Amino acid sequence: MRLVHYINQFYAGLGGEDAAGLGPRVLDGVVGPGRLLQQLLGEDHQIVATVVCGDDHAASDPAVAEELLAMARTAGGELLVAGPAFGSGRYGLVCARLVAAAQGAGLPAVASMHPDNPGIGEAGTAPVVEAGAAARHMRPTLQRLAAAVAKLATGATLTAADGRVGAPARIGRLVEDRAAKRAVELVLRRLGGDRESTEVPVGGFGVVAPAAPVDKVADASVALVTEGAVVPIGNPDGLQSARATRWLRYPIDGVETLASGTWESVDGGFATTQANADPNRVVPLDAARDLERDGALGRLHGEFFTTVGNGTPVATAKRFGVEWAAELRKAGVQAAILTAT
Amino acid sequence: VTALRRVVHEVHSVEFGAATRYEQHHLVIGTEQAAGLFADPALAGVRPQLASPGESVRIIAPLDVVEPRSKGRDGGAFPGFLAPINRKRGPDTHVLRGAAVLAAGYLPRNQEGLIDMSGPAAPLSPFGATHNVVIEFEPAEGASLLEAEQALRRGLLRLAVHLADAAADATPNVVEELAAPHRPGTSTDGLPRVGVITNLQTQGAFKDVYVYGRSMAGSLPTLFDPVEIEDGAVVAGQYGHPALRNPTYLHQNHPVIAELRARDGQDLHFAGVVLCPEPVEQAAKEHVSAHAAWLCQTAGFDAAIVTKEGAGNADNDLAMKMDALEEAGLTAVALYAELSGSDGTGPPLVAGPRHGAVVSVGNYDQRVKLPAVQRALGGKRLHIIDADATAAIEVPVAMILAGLSPLGAGRLTCRTDPPPAGGLDGEETA
Repeated sequence: MRLVHYINQFYAGLGGEDAAGLGPRVLDGVVGPGRLLQQLLGEDHQIVATVVCGDDHAASDPAVAEELLAMARTAGGELLVAGPAFGSGRYGLVCARLVAAAQGAGLPAVASMHPDNPGIGEAGTAPVVEAGAAARHMRPTLQRLAAAVAKLATGATLTAADGRVGAPARIGRLVEDRAAKRAVELVLRRLGGDRESTEVPVGGFGVVAPAAPVDKVADASVALVTEGAVVPIGNPDGLQSARATRWLRYPIDGVETLASGTWESVDGGFATTQANADPNRVVPLDAARDLERDGALGRLHGEFFTTVGNGTPVATAKRFGVEWAAELRKAGVQAAILTAT
Repeated sequence: VTALRRVVHEVHSVEFGAATRYEQHHLVIGTEQAAGLFADPALAGVRPQLASPGESVRIIAPLDVVEPRSKGRDGGAFPGFLAPINRKRGPDTHVLRGAAVLAAGYLPRNQEGLIDMSGPAAPLSPFGATHNVVIEFEPAEGASLLEAEQALRRGLLRLAVHLADAAADATPNVVEELAAPHRPGTSTDGLPRVGVITNLQTQGAFKDVYVYGRSMAGSLPTLFDPVEIEDGAVVAGQYGHPALRNPTYLHQNHPVIAELRARDGQDLHFAGVVLCPEPVEQAAKEHVSAHAAWLCQTAGFDAAIVTKEGAGNADNDLAMKMDALEEAGLTAVALYAELSGSDGTGPPLVAGPRHGAVVSVGNYDQRVKLPAVQRALGGKRLHIIDADATAAIEVPVAMILAGLSPLGAGRLTCRTDPPPAGGLDGEETA
């Protein structure tokens, strides 16, 4: 089978963070980790092309995945392999989006990343197989990926036995008993000594490792970002009040304060009366400008990002986080103040 | 000892007429009488409408829903709103089972939801199966929307009593005797003592639930007489997440209390009800959770089922209460909605417990295709999805009123095995 391999700028040898803004390109044959992957795949499957894109460029716009997919098709790919992205958020996000887009278009695809990669949720129901946390686990990761590719090429479905990670889809359906009755039965089972029964797994929440502190905030560029749905009055761009599917950006260069009557929160998850009396209390522009004037904060980034957290799925929120991080890094921002409601 | 006699009159059909009367399971609503109960300076006018099961009708932007109930000639239903807050009420509560009164229309904090009376959404809402008297309304010019909301609540409660009064002299279908919960220290013959903690949303205007006419905000959790809930001591006034609301009707018919009563004396002892606010500050959440666990322990509960209202913020209250209960040696089970995205692959819980077990009431994000309907009540457009109110639409379950009932009224759950054919249309029988 003819394979197309997606990797980022770093693994393609085009540069590190300095090259993260590179646009999509196609390289002939195997590149970087593709060499070992090809060796492990043997002669049955050929990596005919490698599609590459800079992490910031690819992660900051969901439309890039479609562009990369089109390139893979043009290069003659019958199966798409993405990664391994290990624990890298932007790279993982792009790999996940790409395999989701490929699966949606009927092209078999598999990505490789660590189960805690924040991008993993974007894969949806497309398969992702487990990678180690970092590149030092390259060989075992590629061994697993090669085996998964070989199986996928036969038309088989990848399972946990193949190292498939990501949550299995939990699909809603009507059952015989109402939830209240099931709750009473579950209580009785637990009281009877069954401590394992539950309809939804309990515990196992992810941990976010904090970034290193900013060295000198007085020299740093700092951004304001919020999930409190602050937008210009009248909500001209139609941000949702719940279940966000997107986020917006608004310029604040030269703006001293988010005045009531000029800005508002459209969040559907809390009583917005107080927030709308002073939108600075959700996005603290007035206080940040004071700090900027006093020299306590180097420079306030020229725009703030906004979305609504109310009812937004974790996977979507994680994607916004990765996109925001990519945007802010690209703009040379060192720190962000995220306000939540 | 019988604490309350629920005198049940079934409603099989409804129509408008000159005067309200109830006869042979048929409810006639006096149109002028019904509208007159909403006379208030904050309302320019109301239009009573009807929507019955099986009809091609969509009710959009529903507000609160109330079951018609009355204490008969002496009054006393909805203490704190329509009656004094005292316990000297008669033992009989008349119930028009199968009927509901509700308001529908624009209010600023009313997150748009819907009820379909036929099609795939009908079995997902408890109110797809009731004969609904729907009050459309116009706020008065100059009145605040908060005043209009309060006027609607008073009107709905008056209408609920007015309709049930009509059946007070009719021969009931059934009389249900409700016993008081077992007191701590009484013998249980080895059966576990199981109670329920019900969190009530307390977030201010348009986001509050009332106990005896007042928000529980700032209160500590309290043991509460379930008979008082039957008589309307808990009234809803919160309009967030339509699927995750607990309308007054579902407090009056609290599903977990009903299921505990149904098993009482067989495999458990119904130990009681704890009502609890859902504060928004972390420290208050911790305080309230610790106090609720202490209260359940002191009241001799062996286990508690914990219910909520609302989404992420309320999920934290569930999690903290479950952990506090389990750490105190009690068994805890909570009812959660899953938020796993439209394909069901995201993390199901935003804020889950470390201990205890969870019942799923379905996935907030799962999408349902609804066919076009002949008429719509409550408004002409669904603004949140920019669609005509009667159009064929695809919506998340999140939009269906009480479609993910946190009190456990619904039959949805989520599983990882493949669903039966037809998605939410397909019913599992095995």
